[in-house]
Amino acid sequence: MNFVSLLIPLLFLGVFLYALIRRIKLYDCFTDGVKEAVPLILSLFPYLASMLILSELFEASGLAEAITKLLRPAFTLFGIPSEISPLVLIKPFSGSGSTAILSELLTKYGADSYIGRCACVAYGSSETVFYISAVYFAGQKKKRLALPIAISLVANFFGVVAGCFLCKFL
Amino acid sequence: MNAIFALVFLFSLLLFLLRDPDGFLPAMLAGAEKAGVLCVSLLAVYCVWLGFFKVLERSGISEKLTRAAYPLARRLFRTKNREALTPAVGNLCANLLGLPGAPTPLGVRATAGFLKENNRYGASMLFVLNATSLQLLPTTAIALRLAAGSVSPADIFLPTLLATLLSTLLGGLLCALLVRK
Repeated sequence: MNFVSLLIPLLFLGVFLYALIRRIKLYDCFTDGVKEAVPLILSLFPYLASMLILSELFEASGLAEAITKLLRPAFTLFGIPSEISPLVLIKPFSGSGSTAILSELLTKYGADSYIGRCACVAYGSSETVFYISAVYFAGQKKKRLALPIAISLVANFFGVVAGCFLCKFL
Repeated sequence: MNAIFALVFLFSLLLFLLRDPDGFLPAMLAGAEKAGVLCVSLLAVYCVWLGFFKVLERSGISEKLTRAAYPLARRLFRTKNREALTPAVGNLCANLLGLPGAPTPLGVRATAGFLKENNRYGASMLFVLNATSLQLLPTTAIALRLAAGSVSPADIFLPTLLATLLSTLLGGLLCALLVRK
């Protein structure tokens, strides 16, 4: 994992050195960029808050659990172990929620078990679809997001199906 | 999104009414509190990356990157608008490298750029590529496996890569076929 920890420092080193050669005023330039951070956060905040309130309700009400139970047979049919179906279901809504479930599954079943490895692949190959949609399209009119969201959910689902299958061999 | 919000909200509310009416407000407050905490940590992340991106921009690196990726990006997003393509290319690079938090500001900027020229296809494609995970190295999962005492935490790399490749290709393909401009 050494290469990975070097990546970010080296990236900054390369870019800043190049910028200095091009005679960029680094301090002024960096500060100008940072200026954009607060307006960006302010524009995202209402969407983030609504989304997180919704995902909290979804989990805390037991709705997530009920849907998981309902979908379990369908998941098993596609070869997704029923133990990881809560993970697959929560992931589109909440990154922190799915991370918590993943670490729970790893402790319970062991990191090197089939369930543990499937869970990791499911976690790593899918994304927080609803969260991303809320953030990327924050404040945009004419969104018409239903189709892209549906496409992403279907694609992620089949990614997980493929991942669970591959975990049997790889 | 409005339909999903209404549906999930109402069904959750119903469940709370039946099982635990006192838990309803605290759950909403907990969500809002998470948003507050998240925004503070995101603010820190965006300060670093937006500063870095400005240096990339002024030194001409991001333009070079866009120029190199232009033939591909132009077809992928079906537009010639550099203003939107530059952040979109940056977003894809940041995703591939797995720079935590970095893709978001670029994605927001690119989406706004695409929608400004009424390119719903480009915005949808960028969203689908992001939402099907482009990351090459599943760093979080590997870190969690390491913490859970795995013998070889990185051995999920190959199945994860193949699975995410499949989901991204499938998503991109469906988007190209189904989404109209």
